[in-house]
Amino acid sequence: MPRVKRGVTSHRRHKKVLKLAKGYVGSKSKLFRVANQQVMKSGAYAYAHRKLKKREFRQLWIARINAAARENGTTYSRMIYGLKLAGVDVNRKMLAELAISDPQGFSQLAEVAKKS
Amino acid sequence: MKSFMAKPAEIDRKWYVIDANGQTLGRLASEVAAILRGKHKPIYTPHVDTGDFVIVINASKIRLTGNKLVDKKMRWHTGYPGGLKEIDYGSLIQKKPEKIIEAAIKGMLPHNRLGAAMYKKLKVYRGSEHPHQAQRPELRELRG
Repeated sequence: MPRVKRGVTSHRRHKKVLKLAKGYVGSKSKLFRVANQQVMKSGAYAYAHRKLKKREFRQLWIARINAAARENGTTYSRMIYGLKLAGVDVNRKMLAELAISDPQGFSQLAEVAKKS
Repeated sequence: MKSFMAKPAEIDRKWYVIDANGQTLGRLASEVAAILRGKHKPIYTPHVDTGDFVIVINASKIRLTGNKLVDKKMRWHTGYPGGLKEIDYGSLIQKKPEKIIEAAIKGMLPHNRLGAAMYKKLKVYRGSEHPHQAQRPELRELRG
């Protein structure tokens, strides 16, 4: 019978956690106990912030559309309502991109929204 | 398609002059703060300072509503025991009218390093003159 040393499973488990904790500040990347806590917390943040990301981007698009709408003499709220009445189905992401890359096109949409 | 993000090196910044003559303090401050942050531009990006420079002139002719000239006070601590000093806005508008506008706008900017960078683009002068002719500032009317 070969000699069996213990602790293989826990060593593997520790190694797995410490690998995930690479790059963390101070003892959070070196000590298993602290690293483990931080990895759990980081996972929770990552989950929550994947949902938040969608809301934050929508906020950003709205802020940008509002800025561009005001340059064209209307406001975000009036423009979106006008586009809805006119049956223009462009989402906020694309409106925001249009405002940056194609200001003339955005102005035309703003005119459409103002007329309806 | 990824959403556009402004790059700090590619932002072109304008200079605006805003006349504070007869304007209400908070209403002026909120618009100036928005320009300094860049929220008036479609390229607005939260983690980048996309704002323009703002020169506020005629700071001494700012209007405070209600009883604020008597009641509103600016307080600071010198660091010495009993060193809490205060000055009411009625005296402050005589002595340092720039401070009134600067304090109001600073409070409306983000309280972090980005906000500090935005604040540096603000120039306030008590009279109608300013030393930034070389930057060719445009006169900007307030919305309200």
